[in-house]
Amino acid sequence: MTDPSALTAEAVAAIGKAQTSAELERLEVEYLGRKSGRVSKLLEGIDKLSPEERAALGKAVNESKRAIEEALSGRRSQLEENRLADLAETEAIDVTFPGPPLDRGHVHVLTQVRRQIETVLESLGYQVELGPEVETEWYNFEALNITAGHPAREMWDSFYFSPELLLRAHTSPVQIHAMQRIKEPPIYIITPGRCYRRDAPEATRLPYFSQVEGLAVDKGLTFGDLKGTLLYMIQSLYGRERKVRVRPSFFPFTEPSFEFDVSCGICGGMGCKSCRHKGWLEVGGCGMVHPQVLRNGGIDPAQWNGYAWGFGIERMAMLKHDVDDIRLFYESDLRFLEQF
Amino acid sequence: MRISYEWLGDFLDLDGVTPKDAADVLTRLGVEVESLTMVDLSNIVIGKVLEQKPHPKSRTPLWIHQVDIGVRVEQIIAGAPNAVPGTLVPVALPGTTVPNGKVVKDMNIAGFKASGMLCSADELMLGEDHSGILLLDRGKPGDPLTSIIPSQAIMEAEITSNRPDCMGHLGVARELAAGLGRPMKRDFMPSFTGTADPPGRELVKVSVDDPDLCSRYIGGVIKGVRVGRSPDWMQRRLRACGVRPINNIVDITNYVLFEYAQPLHAFDLARLNGPAIHVRRAREKEKLLSLDGVVRDLTPDMLVIADALRPVAIAGVIGGEETAVTTATTDILLESANFNGASVRQTSRALGLRTEASSRFERALPPELALAGARRAASLIAELAGGTVHREWADVYPRPQQPVRVILRPALIDDVLGTHVPLEEAESILKRLNFHVKVMGDGEWDVLPPVFRLDVTIPEDLVEEVGRVHGYDRVPPTLPGRRHERWTPATPSLDRRLDAIREVLAGAGYSETWSPALVSGRQLEALRIAAHAMRVSNPLSDDMDTLRTSLLPSLMDAMALNRDRGRLDIRIYEIAEAYLARVGDHNGGQPEEPLRLAALASAGATADEGRDALYRLKSVLDGCVAAMSAPSCMYDRASAELFHPGRCAAVMLDGRQLGYIGELHPTVSAGAGIDGRVVAFEVDVEPMVAESRIPRAQPLPRFPRVQRDLAVIVDETVAAGVLHTAIKEVAGDLLEHVRAFDEYRGAQVSEGHKSVAFTLTFRSPERTLTDAEVDKVMAEIKLGLEKRHRARFRE
Ligand SMILES: [Zn+2]
Repeated sequence: MTDPSALTAEAVAAIGKAQTSAELERLEVEYLGRKSGRVSKLLEGIDKLSPEERAALGKAVNESKRAIEEALSGRRSQLEENRLADLAETEAIDVTFPGPPLDRGHVHVLTQVRRQIETVLESLGYQVELGPEVETEWYNFEALNITAGHPAREMWDSFYFSPELLLRAHTSPVQIHAMQRIKEPPIYIITPGRCYRRDAPEATRLPYFSQVEGLAVDKGLTFGDLKGTLLYMIQSLYGRERKVRVRPSFFPFTEPSFEFDVSCGICGGMGCKSCRHKGWLEVGGCGMVHPQVLRNGGIDPAQWNGYAWGFGIERMAMLKHDVDDIRLFYESDLRFLEQF
Repeated sequence: MRISYEWLGDFLDLDGVTPKDAADVLTRLGVEVESLTMVDLSNIVIGKVLEQKPHPKSRTPLWIHQVDIGVRVEQIIAGAPNAVPGTLVPVALPGTTVPNGKVVKDMNIAGFKASGMLCSADELMLGEDHSGILLLDRGKPGDPLTSIIPSQAIMEAEITSNRPDCMGHLGVARELAAGLGRPMKRDFMPSFTGTADPPGRELVKVSVDDPDLCSRYIGGVIKGVRVGRSPDWMQRRLRACGVRPINNIVDITNYVLFEYAQPLHAFDLARLNGPAIHVRRAREKEKLLSLDGVVRDLTPDMLVIADALRPVAIAGVIGGEETAVTTATTDILLESANFNGASVRQTSRALGLRTEASSRFERALPPELALAGARRAASLIAELAGGTVHREWADVYPRPQQPVRVILRPALIDDVLGTHVPLEEAESILKRLNFHVKVMGDGEWDVLPPVFRLDVTIPEDLVEEVGRVHGYDRVPPTLPGRRHERWTPATPSLDRRLDAIREVLAGAGYSETWSPALVSGRQLEALRIAAHAMRVSNPLSDDMDTLRTSLLPSLMDAMALNRDRGRLDIRIYEIAEAYLARVGDHNGGQPEEPLRLAALASAGATADEGRDALYRLKSVLDGCVAAMSAPSCMYDRASAELFHPGRCAAVMLDGRQLGYIGELHPTVSAGAGIDGRVVAFEVDVEPMVAESRIPRAQPLPRFPRVQRDLAVIVDETVAAGVLHTAIKEVAGDLLEHVRAFDEYRGAQVSEGHKSVAFTLTFRSPERTLTDAEVDKVMAEIKLGLEKRHRARFRE
């Protein structure tokens, strides 16, 4: 019969020497296995012993079990500690090795810019209004105070389907639709959408483009409000250091009319190559809504007044992302689209 | 329009105002100066040619000049022969940079020293002429050229269509004077009139058929002119405006055009039949040889100036060659008229001929301008070409210009601008711009605009006049914000709602395109999708003559382009309108403009690759629909243009057809220049948006699920979608989810049959299901499938 304490000592020594958890597992089975473990075997023939001897042996065996279990768990945590301490060497990988390419699709840069514009103007309380691209002559011209034979019609050389039907030259017709629908101001809307003009494609313009126009109709609106709105919009899109310049111009649907420029982001207005030494980059047109246009939309100009402004989404994107050829937006070359 | 800074100096004092200052002031006032070209002549000297000899050795003809430059005589070689002894010429000495950028150096040309350069007008940027040396009509050898020609500054300005008066230097100068607060040196209406007898109106009769097309016609008679060269200063200014000098009479008419913006024409009186002037519409088949040497076919909607026999000019556009002023001319008829802008524009377009005259008439000139222009031209002709100006010109003026009065409530200025402009300042600004202001008893202003300002008709126009001179940059920016009693609650825009779809597509590797909506009608016809196409009646080109009825051709073009540029795996989509003429309403009414979502993906080369790609694309579309929180869509086998006959499904959402998904027909993809298979879908977006619901949270399952696979062997013709529906119908509430995951044909399945494998997930919300319960449901499903589709099952 083996002496329990000798067996314990032997087991503890073996456990102390074990180098892997597999080894420990094997030792656990060898010594503590429920039926064939060597500690259990100490009890073989116990029924032949006297009650006193029996009690003593039982106690010794239990002590042996506990001691071995203790040694096992001690050695286990030691091995685990060692393993963790060595991770830097044992599991090191080359972290400079690249991951596999991510098949990420890209939202079109014009969608992104349109999204930014909508977000900025929605924060001022403007809401998006949409309208048809194939418009009637009345909504595209007449209602906007651009009467037949008006010299300004030259500015909007249009594509026609019939003398009465054309592709809208601007999103301004949506302003009239909106006034007719909403009827009672206040009206604060923006009108993003595609427009068409009969201009041959070149680096700075295309026969198709996208515009956003804003319209506010309320009581007591001023040119100062228009100017502040433009400044808020430009600074929100391009940064608070940007300035806005408003120059007198002419549009039949606004009086007074203006064009607005943003200070060059490269030279800050001092003049450089990219702004052609002007210090300013043209953005769009704006003005106080002509009383006749309000009347055409069914709104009484004696009670209400308004301001409106418009610009090209492509132009905004070109200024924001340094795109020098407007045709790139519509060419669908993934090498371009994936840059944004 | 090109504006000469030197010329502006005729009308106001420009002391201390640099060309850059002038350009800035004009831009602030609304005359947008787009570029400013400075021509510095201060380092060019005047030389007198003493001797001219041909170069004895040079192969190209060269001339050796001895030129007196005051302090010494220099030897200068030139290629042009016109600097003969005695002429005065501009000289650039070695070391100077001439205005066109050329640097002059000491040279030795085939053995002869050359110390400087004789300059052409082109090199000095005084005109386009580079054929010879610029000859000067005065000046002292050795003096700087600027003693006779001031340094030049040319502004390129954009004149808005409401301001025809600024199509001349006088109008621009008036703006500048108002902006600078300086007085004008010259009145609008010259006092000059002719004195010679008999009265001009007795020498030439003028009649006008249609006063709507010609509201005024002045014909002045000037006899005994000497046609010759116009003075240097006039030639220089014309060149600055981009016009070639011709002779003094023609140059004067052009000069007055660039000064007053009033187009004029001079006829050789001796070559007019009658002599009489008849302003009428052209007759059928009439022709005119115009001044540019082209025979013009005239039509009855064109207005012409005719003599007793034939048209001699096209009204407001161009004169005729046969009655033009020549060196032999002595007597002239000076025309200064007012033609209808719309009519001139129409004629000029029909002829494809835009002239300095037509571009001014198009903008609707004031008829009063005609007299001012005629007087100015007559006085210049008398001064520079001699001649006697007859008194009392013919002046047919059937529609006299009516003065327009505008009543202004002065408070409107502050109300509209949002700043305070003192009343005295506002009044002074209007007066500087030649408006007459009468303050009435009630405080309102009775304002009379000057005759050359037809664009001012309403009070807001006056606010603009005050605002632009006061300075818009002085108005503080504000944001509107009042107490509103009415508002519209914020709602996301349609495009922002569709961002949910864009997220799904971006995650699936699809990139968004924006392609032109104008496409080739021929392409749509070839694809047989042109039935509802809207055709543009005046397209720019035939590849942009029709509104697209589908986004797919644009996406196919995009795919072909990217393949050409080396891309193999392409996944793209677009969200945009298609345009469909309403049935029976071709180009008569507004079309439907349904918003569409279309996607295209390359799908390998083999039939199996194509099938797998299509199943993947279906998942993408399902994902888009799910992202909109709309109910799932169903797919029914279908056939459609553009699609493969065996690989196309109609996409159904809640009983409505959204569009199609499938593999493109091989001839369609090949026709677009794409090799390999392509899968695609195109669906209407609006039903998806309409069916969109706010997702409601469901309680999380408390009991475990049980999964079972089922391989169903059926006839080839039974679609997986049909089996799917049948399983759901038979299974009852315990079936939580079912999905087909494999399709098999081959050795283990008999000919004409296939095996479709489904995964079924069972769960009860009340208890943990036992195997026995699930077995029972599975048995019912099998029984149902056996009955309905004669299905058998693989273990
Ligand atoms: Zn710059």
